[in-house]
This record gives sequence, C-alpha cells and structure tokens, in this order.
Amino acid sequence: MGEKDFRNPAFYTNRELSWILFDHRVLSEARDKTIPLFERLKFLSITASNLDEFFMIRVASLKDQVHAKYEKPDIAGMTPKEQLAALDAAIHKLVDLQYSTYNRALLPQLEQNGLHVIKHHEDLTPEEAAFLDQYFEENVYPVLTPMAVDSSRPFPLIRNKSLNIGALMRRKNKEEELDFATVQVPSVLARIVELPANGNVRRVILLEEIIERNIQKLFLNYDIICAYPFRIMRNADLTIEEDEAADLLKEIEKQLKKRQRGEAIRLEIEDGMDKRLLKILRKELGIEESNIYAIDGPLDLTFLMKMYSLDGFEHLKAPKYEPQQVPRLPAGCNIFDEIRKGDILLHHPYQTFAPVVDFIRQASVDPEVLAIKQTLYRVSGNSPIIAALAQAAENGKQVSVLVELKARFDEENNIVWAKMLEKAGCHVIYGLVGLKTHSKITLVVRREEDGIRRYVHLGTGNYNDATAKLYTDIGLLTCSETIGEDATAVFNMLSGYSEPLKWNSLALAPLWLKDRFLYLIGREKEFAREGRPARIIAKMNSLCDPDIIEALYEASAAGVRIDLIVRGICCLKVGIPGVSENITVRSIVGNFLEHARIFYFENDERYEIYCGSADWMPRNLERRVEILFPVEKQELKEELLHILQNQLRDTIKAHVLQADGSYERVDKRGKESFHSQEAFCQEAMELTREGQEEVASRRTFIPETHHE
Amino acid sequence: MPIKTFAAIDVGSFELAMKIFEFSGKNNIKEIDHISQRLALGSDTYAHGKISPKRMDELCRALKEIAGIMKSYRVDAYRAYGTSAIRETANTTIVLDQIEQRTGIKVEVLSNSEQRFLDYKSVAFRGETFRKIIEDKTAIVDIGGGSIQLSLFDNDVLTATQNLKLGVLRVMELLNRLNAKSSQMESLIDEMASAQLSTFKKLYLKDRTIKNIIVVDDYLSPYVVRRFGRDPSKAIATLEDYEKLMDMLRSQSRSQIASNMGIAEERVPMVFISAVILRRTALMMGAEMIWAPGVTLCDGIAYEYAERNKLLVDEHDFEKDILACAVNIGKRYMGSRKRAETLQDITLTIFDSMKKIHGMGKRERLYLRLAALLHDCGKYISMINLGEASYNIIMSTEIIGLSHIEREIVANVVRFNHVPFLYYEEMSARETRLDKDAYLVIAKLTAILRIANCLDRSHKQKLSGIRAVLKDNTLVLTVDTQEDITLERGYFEEREGFFQEVFSVQPVLKQRKQF
Repeated sequence: MGEKDFRNPAFYTNRELSWILFDHRVLSEARDKTIPLFERLKFLSITASNLDEFFMIRVASLKDQVHAKYEKPDIAGMTPKEQLAALDAAIHKLVDLQYSTYNRALLPQLEQNGLHVIKHHEDLTPEEAAFLDQYFEENVYPVLTPMAVDSSRPFPLIRNKSLNIGALMRRKNKEEELDFATVQVPSVLARIVELPANGNVRRVILLEEIIERNIQKLFLNYDIICAYPFRIMRNADLTIEEDEAADLLKEIEKQLKKRQRGEAIRLEIEDGMDKRLLKILRKELGIEESNIYAIDGPLDLTFLMKMYSLDGFEHLKAPKYEPQQVPRLPAGCNIFDEIRKGDILLHHPYQTFAPVVDFIRQASVDPEVLAIKQTLYRVSGNSPIIAALAQAAENGKQVSVLVELKARFDEENNIVWAKMLEKAGCHVIYGLVGLKTHSKITLVVRREEDGIRRYVHLGTGNYNDATAKLYTDIGLLTCSETIGEDATAVFNMLSGYSEPLKWNSLALAPLWLKDRFLYLIGREKEFAREGRPARIIAKMNSLCDPDIIEALYEASAAGVRIDLIVRGICCLKVGIPGVSENITVRSIVGNFLEHARIFYFENDERYEIYCGSADWMPRNLERRVEILFPVEKQELKEELLHILQNQLRDTIKAHVLQADGSYERVDKRGKESFHSQEAFCQEAMELTREGQEEVASRRTFIPETHHE
Repeated sequence: MPIKTFAAIDVGSFELAMKIFEFSGKNNIKEIDHISQRLALGSDTYAHGKISPKRMDELCRALKEIAGIMKSYRVDAYRAYGTSAIRETANTTIVLDQIEQRTGIKVEVLSNSEQRFLDYKSVAFRGETFRKIIEDKTAIVDIGGGSIQLSLFDNDVLTATQNLKLGVLRVMELLNRLNAKSSQMESLIDEMASAQLSTFKKLYLKDRTIKNIIVVDDYLSPYVVRRFGRDPSKAIATLEDYEKLMDMLRSQSRSQIASNMGIAEERVPMVFISAVILRRTALMMGAEMIWAPGVTLCDGIAYEYAERNKLLVDEHDFEKDILACAVNIGKRYMGSRKRAETLQDITLTIFDSMKKIHGMGKRERLYLRLAALLHDCGKYISMINLGEASYNIIMSTEIIGLSHIEREIVANVVRFNHVPFLYYEEMSARETRLDKDAYLVIAKLTAILRIANCLDRSHKQKLSGIRAVLKDNTLVLTVDTQEDITLERGYFEEREGFFQEVFSVQPVLKQRKQF
C-alpha cells in the first residue's frame, strides 16, 4: 500500500463524458413507461436544455482549448482534442436517442391520449390550413424579418440558439443561380399552435411549420425551391474561468482571437435538408461536418416544456406536491423563539421554504433585530426575500447583502434588484474579485435581554422560493454561539476584513474547505487501518476534484466503506481492484432535482454529519466561497442520516455506477421497491398530520400570545 | 445589571482592529465581534515621519465603516486608541482632528506605557495561567510595530519595565533601506537587537535569569491561537519547540511558511522579525518557556473600560506592581528604602486623616505613595538641583500602569517638594499638558508631602509613631519620640503656610514623650 499511484489516469472518467451519462439518465426518465406521460415530456425537454447549456459552456471551452493549442490532458488522460472527438460521438448518440424517444415513444403515446402533433404542414386538412394561413397573416407575418442573401447583401448574423428557416429560391422569370434566404422563427410567439377542436383528438402544430407553409409570402419576387429549419449554437462569450486551470486561462487570453469567440460550434438541421442549402450554411458558418446534427424531428425540444403546460391533461401529469409545514414552525409562530428552543432542520421541497422567508421577514420588523446579513446567489424574480431585506433597511436595520453577479446567466437580473436594495439603504457587496460567492448563509443579529444573540440560517440551496419547490435541499436554523461567531466572521471576511483567528464550526472555501474534507476522509482511512469502523456516505451534485478522489481511493484501499450519491458528473470509477472496490456510486434522478450536499463520516462510531453549498469539484473547493457546516444536535443528525439511508435504499430512481463506467438501474431482485423522493413526501405529510392530530386531540383553546 | 455593549478600537501601526464586547454582571465579558484590516500607518510614520494623505483617506474610510458597525450594534460606549504610528507622526493633533471631523470617532493617543499597561492587563486577565507563570521569574515581551517593551516579574509582582525601539515595522523599514538579502536577515536583526538587549541586561537583569517569557504581539500570537486555541496549557512552548519553529522559518520559502502557518504571505516577513527578536530576547534572558496568550490591545482597552466603570474586579493587584516599580527605581538611584518607607507612612497618615477635606481617592493616594518613594531620586544626579533632577528621572522612566499625565503629577509633586511651587497660571506658561484638575491634585499632594517630609528632615527616622487628628480647622500631628525634634519643628513652621493655603487647615505638631 502507499506504493499505488492513485492518480493513474486509467482510474478516472472524463468529466464531460460523465456529464453525457447524466443527461442519459435524465433521458431514461423520459423513456420510463411508469412515469406519467406529460412528466416524460418534461424530462425530454430538460435533456435538451441541459445539452444546450453543455454546448455553450463545456464544448465551447474545449474548442477554446484546441484553438489555443492547449494540450494538457485531463485527469483521465485525454487531451482537449481527444475529448472533443469522444464527445462528438457521444452527443450524436444522445441526440439520436432523444429523437427516437420523441418519435417512437412519446408521439404515439400522445396520439393515444388524444393529442396529435402535426409533423408536417402538408398533413393539414384544408380547413386547418385556412385557419393557420389566417393565423400567419394576423400574428406571425408582422414580426418576421426575412433576409435574403445576394451579391449586394451579405450573409446575415444568425443568433445563438435561435431557430431559423433557411430557404433556397430563384428570382422569378430568371434562370440565374439560387439565392439563400433565412428568417428567424420569432421567439416571442408560442411555438405550439393549437388548431380548432374537431372531435376528440386535439391537434397542434409547431410555429416553424406554419412559417414554412407561408414562406412564399415573404419573398414575393422569388420562387421558393426548398425551405428547412436550422439552429446554431455559438461559442458564447460567457465566463468560463472558474472551471478551468489558471494556466489555461492565460493561454486562452494570449492566443484566442476575437473572431473565434462566437464561432458556430453546432448546427442542427432537419434531416433531409437540401444538399445545396446545407452546403451554403456550412460554408458561411464555417462549421465542421462532425458538428452538424441532422435531426429527425422538430429542432430544439425545449418546446416540450410548453406542451407540458397545455390545459386539460392533468391526469397525465404527476399530482402536484404541496410542500409541508415544518412541524416546529407552524404558521404565525415567532421564529426566533422556536430557534432558541433548539436547532431546526429544513428539508426542501418536502418541507416548505416559507420559514426561511419568514425568518428574514420577521427579522425585518422585529425591533430587537440590529442587523441582517445575507449572501444571495440566484433569487427568484419578485423575490419576497429581497422585499423583506429592503423593508429591514427602511426600518433602520443594518442590512448587508452580498449579491453574486457572476451567477451564470443571471447577471442582468441580479443587477436590477441589487440596485433596488442599495436604494433602500442596504449595504450591497457586488461579489468578490476573482471568486464566486456560492455559500448560502443568513445572519440575524438580535439584541436580547441577556445580550446579543445571533440567529443563523445555513443552506445547501439558493435563497430562491421558486426553485425551493423543485430542488431538494437542506437548511439549518440555529442560534448556536459557535456558529453565530463563525457567521459573523464570514461576513467580516466578505466585507474585506481579515480572517478570524480561529473557526469554531464552519469550514470555508477557497481557503480551508478542501483541507477539511481531505482531513475528514483521511481520518476514516486511519480508523480503517486500525481496524476500527470506518465509513463515508456523501451526497452531492458532482464529484470531479482529483485530490478528493485520490483521498477516497486511498481510503477505500485502506478498507473504508464509501457510498456516494452523486446526481451529475462523477469522475471516480468504482470497482478497480485495490483502488475503489469499497466504493459505490449511485445517482438519483427524479421529479425533484437532487441538490443537497450531505456528508457523513463514521468517525469511530461518533459519527459526524455536515451539510454545505459545495460539490467536490475544483471550482467549488478552490474558486468559490463555500461553507460547510456541521449538524450537531443528535436528533437532527439522525434525520440527516435517515435521508442518506433512504437514498441508498432507493430502487426506483437510483442508477448505480458500474465498473465499466455505465449506469444501471438498481437490480430489484430480492429488494423491496423503494422510491426515496416519494417516501420523503409521505413522511413530511405524515408529520403534518401528526401535528394536526395533536392539536385536534388537545381539545383546549390556545390563546394567541403573539400578534404582529 | 443591564447588558452593556462596548467597542474597543485599536488604530495600530499595522492594522486597524475593533472588537465588540458585551458586559453582563461582574467579571463577565464576552467578545461578540472582531474585525481587523491591514492598514500600515506605521510604514508612513516610521519612514517619512508623517502619515500620507492617501493613508489618511484609507484610515478615515475604514473608521467610517467601523462607526457604521458600532451603530448597528448600538454600542453604549467606545474607546478608540492610536498607538505609535499616530503618536509619532509629526502632526498628531491635525491627524486626530481630521479623523474626528471626517468619521465622528474620537481617537485618543496612548502613550507607550499606557499602551503596554493595557496589553499587560489583558494578559493578567488570563487568570490562573498568568498567576501560575509569574510565580517564577517571568518577563513579558510585548512586540509592537514601533518598539518592544520588556517587563520583569519578581515574586509575582512586576518590578521593572523598559521600552526598546525595536518594533517589527521599524526593523523592517530599516532592513528595506539596507536592501538586506534574506540570508542576512537573521544576523542583521540579531545584531540590532543584541546591542539594545545587552544594555537592558546590564541595567535590569545583571546575573538573574528569567524562566518564563510571555509574548504579546500581532505576528506570532495569531498563529499560536490558530494552532493551539486559547488553551494556555497548549500555547506554552519550550525553547526547543521554539527552535523548531525557527528552523521552519529559516529554511522554507515564503509561500511554504504561509501555508504551514496558515497566514497570508505578506505577513511572513513580520512573523520572521518578531520570531527572531523573541528568540534573541529569550536567549539573553536564559528563558526556558514561552507562552503566547494571544491577547490584543482591544482586550486591554475593554478591561480598562470595564474596570473604570466597575464592571470588573481586578484579579491581579496592579497597584502592587506600580509600587514595586517605584521601589526599584528608588533602588537604582541609590535611595534609602527605609527612609522612603518612613516618609510614605507619614504621608499616608496625613492623607487618610484628611479625607473629608481633600476629597481625593485611592488613585491619588497611590500618586502620593509614589511621590514619597521617589521623593529624592534626583540626588543621584545632583544634590543641588534635586527637584529638577528628580522630575527628569521620573519623567524619563516608565512606570507601567501610570498614564503619562499621572506620571507627570507624581514628578511634579516630587519636584515641588524641593523647589518653590508654581501656580497654575505660572505653570501653564511652561509647556504642559496638565489641566486644572491635575494641577489641584499636584497642589494638594505637594502640601502633604512637604509637611511629611519636614517631619523626617534629619533622615534619621526619629519619629517612630505618628498620629493625625483633624479637629475643626486644625490638623494635630502627634509624634511619639524621645528625641529632640527642634530641627523638624523649624522646617514644619516654615512649610505650614503652604499647607494652610491649600487646605485651609492649620497643621500643628505635638510631641508626646513617653516615659
């Protein structure tokens, strides 16, 4: 032992390929016949929007690396070029499966359930055609911008991610060569158009078909030869920094020319597009053969999310789950009184996010509250939290908010309400130079009879009341002195002051967190070597940090039993003799997005459980401000352990990583069927019922002692 | 008792720091917030004599933020103290005024001895460990940006203290100017330190060795706290352990040291200088153990505030330290301990009997004792200019625990014991920072010391017992002695006029011979 090179690239999976496998797992939900049909539409839509983002961020980055002649292999030993080549094959396979799912599984099912999607405008009945032509003239035509290319008009800019229709045409009465024309399918209009009801079956058609049918009306002086939809993805000008090594950034800065930014990196076309048309597109966009995706079906499947929202198919959707009340925090309670009675654990979305909003809302009007400090990463539009913070500032509290402007895709949105907070009198910090602040922490400082008391909320998910209904996350409300002290120190650091002399309970990235994890993993390894009980259970979104994986391999080799619940990317391989035989990895993909990060360490039978905002990824551990917090109250620890154990028991939504790198559904033989997300819902509802029964059985009145 | 919230602000030469404390009930202090930020005022002051406008802006901006934080905690009171960087800048008054105008925070300047005393207090409040450590011969090495302070303990009493201009930032400035190579650093620092330390040794230590060192600094201590926590049993190192740390500092690169110690890289040079000075001091003293209690000036500021406002009761008798220091100074200038003590007894007898008249308290009683103990130290220099010489000695000797003004009171009382009294109007014509209150204290104490002094004029301690009784407007001093006190009587009559002027009380000397 100890001789083994745990960094051997053969022991690692490339993170991009691992991501593709994740999207496959989401896709498998769309293919799962036991799931309500419309939910399957939703999953298919998610695979498509996931893939779009993956292209813009990850594929684009690899392209940059190739352009910059950066050849350093990743942890799996693959150069950027090799990764791109492997991805091309993998993505084509994924897309093929997406469309066979759509065409062969979903469309027939929809048909059976009374929804017909008209694939081609040629299939319309005359009445329908007339209806749509009128629809076109009234609604569509006014917003179209057709563009033709000829000797005096250059090839137009095709916008990233936009859906377009390309056409070949010939000037009337002339036998000249063919001209190219294009028109964008306007994103302001509904992509799905429903036709007037006629019998039991509802019929819908996609907007691009309507335009295609009427394209002649856009170019009156031409004869249309052919028209096909196409869509391109560009190397978006997005910050990629935090995912990449510093030396790479330098390379890219040095070598990357502006022109390469914004280059087309994917072209989707309808299968069977006219060869001449394709040739023009290829030439003008400068795109390689391997980046062209000939699609058998409608481009851009994200429209399925809209289809999901069609009225009248409620029986084909999963029943809406209503997040339950937290038993310890009934509506109308004084949240500070309740926290003083003991720490409170929140499990979203099974339990409602309302207490978190209430926490800030009550603080904003509480005369004893001196200060409220919070980090905000992504918040919902019209967020009640923002409103409460502004209110607090107006009430004379000291309100400090760190607003992360670098949160992907959210930038503009964030600036607007950050400015609003500033206007209300909050002290707003617009992020830290060079670091993304990803931690989720709120501190309320309150002056009480026996002195200052600090109330802290720590979470694994964003302060976003909308996503809190979909993402599974853990929150902790506490007024523990040690955590309060640390929370104060965190905000002091975020305000630019020096680090504290000592942390009591919290571990912070980028300075201390990785070492903390390595220490915790190493400690289990030592216990295992001494023949004592040693075990790690860790749940997160992604695992790709090489130092952590190496430590896990060492621990496994020393005999530590390690069970990982990793929803997305996992660069660790299981079942390598002498390296990872004691490690299992499972991924749970279900109706709710698994998002909590929970870490269990056996610690020689005095187990410790931590939650946090960080995944085991270099970007989380090295380039972000993240917080890991321990949960110390015994009953809460048991609750968290129960969550982990339930997820390890899951037989319905779990996919288990195999030694060959693939994921398989759980082998159900001899096992009781178990759906962990479902179980959590049931448990939460039961708790609420118990609470209500208790109230009902009391048969006494409870006078209100608190009035706002 | 209602909770009080207090802010202690340290405008240091390297860092600006604030701690928020909560006082609840007797001896219950809780730190609730600690912020600090790098702000190297010292590098301006030590290198150019003045704080630059740029740094001033930075300082004011930072203090404004601090004012905001204080407001958010609704603090009941604050004290903001500037140390050597502010003290030594050529335009202190302008700087302080500007700060107040721009930030609303009133910063006061601590004299060196006040500053060190606050540090010392915060160490002393570490309780049991402190008491245990000072049972052996112990020195406090207080390493600051501008200077270091060495204080010696003997039999759990602080007996001497000396300031040396060997501060970390000052040394660093100098090394920068010398363009020293890193390989030379240690020997250069050693050389600078040794010269001053050997003088110190000759003056205070002679052959004694010191067993324990308590180190107070902003460089090594944070590391110790980070590494071992505040648990003193762990924060004590033997000299061998310390050498291991030195080896690490010597052999590793800046970034290695920074990551080993868990500190920012920019701090490494200062840690290194502090470590070398500490090592040199420990070797010179022959110390075996080093304790880093990890206290900061902010702690001291809070203790002092709490003490003044009766929120805290001293566990350590600081008055005893001050007196011991005075006795030691007397000794150094070859004063007779016996006579000093006799004089002390007489003055106190008079002081105590006149409480109703003079209205002075415990602290003034201490000044009087000090004045009595030091009443003729100047004769070491000149028997003719005894008053001025004594004044100068006292003013240039630090007595830890006395503020600058307090020292000036004592020195003046001693001076006017020998030279004609100057009235306030005359005195303020000379350069002095003394206000009217201080002046009145001087006048009263001088009157008492003068009367007491003439009762032992012959320096033979003739008056073995003395009683004082205040009756109406007469103070009757009854002495039990068989000897002839004609000389004393003569002086007494000469001096009773001033006493009467000050107190409107007629002193009367009576001799009671016992047969």
